[in-house]
Amino acid sequence: MEASELKKILEAYDNKLDKKLSLNVSSLKNINLGKSKQKTQTILIYRVIEIVCFGLLSLYLGQYIANNWSHTHLAISGIIVHVFTLIALVGSIGQVVLLQRIDFSKPIVDIRKKIELVNIHGLLFIKLIFLSAPIWWSYAIVAIDLFLNIDLYVHLDPDFVVRYLIINSLLIIPLVWFLNKLNYKNLHINWVKKTIGLFVGTKTMKALEFLNDIEEFES
Amino acid sequence: MKVNKKEKFITAIDEHKKIIYKIVNSYCPNREERKDLEQEIIIQLWNSFDNYKDKYKYSTWMYRIALNVAISFYRKEKKWSVKNDFYNEASIFSIEDEDGEDETELDYHMKLLQEFVNNLNELNKALMLLYLEEKSHEEIAEILGITKSNVATKISRVKLKLKKEFQKI
Repeated sequence: MEASELKKILEAYDNKLDKKLSLNVSSLKNINLGKSKQKTQTILIYRVIEIVCFGLLSLYLGQYIANNWSHTHLAISGIIVHVFTLIALVGSIGQVVLLQRIDFSKPIVDIRKKIELVNIHGLLFIKLIFLSAPIWWSYAIVAIDLFLNIDLYVHLDPDFVVRYLIINSLLIIPLVWFLNKLNYKNLHINWVKKTIGLFVGTKTMKALEFLNDIEEFES
Repeated sequence: MKVNKKEKFITAIDEHKKIIYKIVNSYCPNREERKDLEQEIIIQLWNSFDNYKDKYKYSTWMYRIALNVAISFYRKEKKWSVKNDFYNEASIFSIEDEDGEDETELDYHMKLLQEFVNNLNELNKALMLLYLEEKSHEEIAEILGITKSNVATKISRVKLKLKKEFQKI
């Protein structure tokens, strides 16, 4: 189709709309214009609840570390759990900032990115769970000490502790590589797509795919 | 004051009704869902009405909002079946009944064009709609948030695709 033909078709269509399209003012007046941003508000409430929970947990863990400063193993375990809590807290704060910046009158690509970054928030928690795999004993030590008042560390075989530390130190590099791969930019890799799909819901997966589309559209 | 604002808003919607109508029809081929999308766009426009700054043209501002809402709606409601009826009746916008009117060759081409637009992904659909509206590359870049050169490249690709599509008939 030549440009002139296309122009002709569009002009005819526009003329038709000019003649036949009308606004139903009464229908427009009947819309509840006050009904706004409900969905965004709900997500915002969830994220604020996350901030409050992680914030309180961070404070509590800070106090736990201070109280157990003289017990090195408890303090280190507490610090590890605290770091992960802080990462989650920062992630949730970032989400609230993103939500506040969603303004539909801004350019489409920019807004779509922000919206999809909000939708892939669940992936952060999956990554944190994976990332904490080599140090998951810290969670057990802190939780059992807090809830049952039992210091698990003193009951562990010293050889086990050494083996655990060596094996898990070796795990850190492949794990960081693995987590870097779990990114929307690598969705073309079959195992990455399958792994992400296994741990996150359809909504997150679709958001990741769309982020990929946005990136392609921008390039 | 509020009544005055509402009247101004209604006038603005009336002046730009074709923008909303075309976007709704392109992103929501299912006529039963159109009313919801129309309402969402109107509500979002109303919510942003006070924040409009004349830094951009009113149509640029309206395109951004309507397209952003339509893309969100489209991504939320993928259950739609894809039909290609361009002149359907909608609730807020109505089009005169055309029963009995013979379909002209232009109508047929328009339907094919709409079918082509419907098959594009969300972002290319926005680009195509703006291109069909004869917006300048600069304005398309402003609305979409990509560079002018990127707009030019993408448009030439879409035009080529469109040419191939129409050569089939």
